[in-house]
Amino acid sequence: MLIVKASSTIDAGATLRGRLTGFAGFLRANGYGVGGADCVSVLETTVRTGVLDSQILRWSLKALLCGRGDEWRRFDALFDAYFLPPNKKIFVDSNVVAAGAHEPRGETGERSENEPVSGAGHGVAGDTDSGAARHGASREESLASTDFRQLNQAEHAREVEALMRRFARRLKHLHLRREMRFHHGRRLDLQGTIRRSVASGGTPLRLAWRERRRVRPRLLLLLDVSRSMSLYSFFYLRLARALCGELADVHCFIFHTRITGVAEALRDPDPWRSQERLHLLAAGWGGGTRIGECLWDFNRDHGARLVHSRTGVIIVSDGYDTGEPEVLSQALAALRRRSRRMVWLNPLLNQPGFSPESRGMLAAMPHLDLLAPGADLAGIERVLPQVIEALR
Amino acid sequence: MNPTAHRMNEVVGLRLQLEGAGYIAEPALAAALLLMLDLGRPLLLEGDAGVGKTEIAKALATVRGARLIRLQCYEGLDVHAAMYEWNYQRQLLAIKLLEHDERPAAVKEQDIFSERYLLKRPLLEAISCAEPPVLLIDEVDRADEAFEAYLLELLSDFQMSIPELGTVRAVTRPLVVITSNGTRELSDALRRRCLYQYIDYPAFAKELAIVEIKAPQAAGQLARQVVEFVQSVRRMELRKKPGIAETLDWTAALLRMGISVIDDDGAERILETLSALIKTREDRAGFTREVVGRIAAAC
Repeated sequence: MLIVKASSTIDAGATLRGRLTGFAGFLRANGYGVGGADCVSVLETTVRTGVLDSQILRWSLKALLCGRGDEWRRFDALFDAYFLPPNKKIFVDSNVVAAGAHEPRGETGERSENEPVSGAGHGVAGDTDSGAARHGASREESLASTDFRQLNQAEHAREVEALMRRFARRLKHLHLRREMRFHHGRRLDLQGTIRRSVASGGTPLRLAWRERRRVRPRLLLLLDVSRSMSLYSFFYLRLARALCGELADVHCFIFHTRITGVAEALRDPDPWRSQERLHLLAAGWGGGTRIGECLWDFNRDHGARLVHSRTGVIIVSDGYDTGEPEVLSQALAALRRRSRRMVWLNPLLNQPGFSPESRGMLAAMPHLDLLAPGADLAGIERVLPQVIEALR
Repeated sequence: MNPTAHRMNEVVGLRLQLEGAGYIAEPALAAALLLMLDLGRPLLLEGDAGVGKTEIAKALATVRGARLIRLQCYEGLDVHAAMYEWNYQRQLLAIKLLEHDERPAAVKEQDIFSERYLLKRPLLEAISCAEPPVLLIDEVDRADEAFEAYLLELLSDFQMSIPELGTVRAVTRPLVVITSNGTRELSDALRRRCLYQYIDYPAFAKELAIVEIKAPQAAGQLARQVVEFVQSVRRMELRKKPGIAETLDWTAALLRMGISVIDDDGAERILETLSALIKTREDRAGFTREVVGRIAAAC
């Protein structure tokens, strides 16, 4: 049953309302995309459903407040954590990390809605309230493990941005099946012509044309940030961020022994916050590499969603893989099938005496459309035409 | 009666009705459907292909006695195919016919751009029905982002602006069911506007009930074994897991082949029917005589 502190009858309604709307704030603190209007919807819903049966309330709020698969799966645990009495409360692991990641966004409006929470459910409310303290803690940890401040260095920032802007501009448009009306084109648009002719009494004076619509390909960046890549990973992350700023449809993942999506964090307009979010995502940075397993995980979790027939995949790695080459080969083959083109940038490729003979690289070769070097800005600039050509 | 007890009765009632229409619904889904009726919000269904998302809309239409209007999304879907289009040929004909008409031009023009020359596509059709229909927007992830933006406008106001005719307001609010297979990420705006329901592969009891409803000839031992078999196939690492449609197809295939019991001895014959269940070459390669025998023996 729900905890409703009914000290007096007048208070009961207000407490209940506060507690229900507080739930929306609680979900937001846990990374749900719940807005202020949803609080109103929650109350509207409970008027219809009543609040005495926890199952009905659970089902209804789940349908109302969830927006995607992962939110759906986490909902039950969060519902229990919020509404069950403290002695039955299950603490949810994901609370702290997720809340931290979204803290800055919620800080202003969330506090007031969370007050009812701290009144009734102590344990959970504590998690969301200690936002300031956690900022301090994670900063120290960031200094101890990975120093993302390099990401915001002013040096070369202009050049990186300029290069990526050129890249984005020259990235060729792909033709789509969907057609649009054009001023000129290959095919006469009969519909459009007749539509225009209505204005001139049925005489087709002005012709309309159709041309296939063009879009840029979606780009998927997979960056190796293991120890062997440590000289280059920040450089590539900066490139990735500059590219995210230029193009909308860019998805960026970093991998070492696990794979993590960082596009959202890179897009954050506030560089300090972007740094903070990256830090939270990047546990394990600079460790070993299991490229095969990482790509396998990627295919399973994100492949269907992110990779389509207009996607260009760019993998940045030195190919030193501690996993089985067979796994890597299969994962790459699966990724290649889904995508349009696959390009592999290996920063070591141009070093004297290096030949791509690591087992990982050999396993990958048959699936690639292009294997290119690129260790610094000048190097990238040199191979860019090839990459653009390969992505066409 | 207090609202909670009342609601529980409604949930039970709706589940019974849906079962009557041939759909076995989880109580959570029934609760979400009721909420959808209450709040007038669209319902977004996500889940793997073949878990019965489209069926929900059909069953809902049957239960409500409403018309089902279906918009199948595809890459390249545009306004003309989804909302409305002018019947240009007829308009042109009308212009020619009106040439010797004595009426003033403004009247003629109004006549040419009247509803008589408007071809209603599913979305316009749905908001101009006298009785609220069920509008199924199937596989919305296949359409592009631009279409999603149109859809948002429609779903927030239930009105559509046609430049030549003005704004068409919904006569009644359709019940909107949107399905997505997750081939593309939907925008947050669309997600926020909808109620959400993730449909998973059915558990044993639910799938058994479905098989018994849809394939009554297989009831009893065979149905139980079929479901047991499919459930263990789903636990394997496959590229494409079989959905409910596949289960039903496979049951039909088994019945057609005269197989009435699934066991190790009949593994060869079962192997012949597996094309109804396993749909990719890589997956099929994993199903050798031994594997099928082992799964069959466990059923």
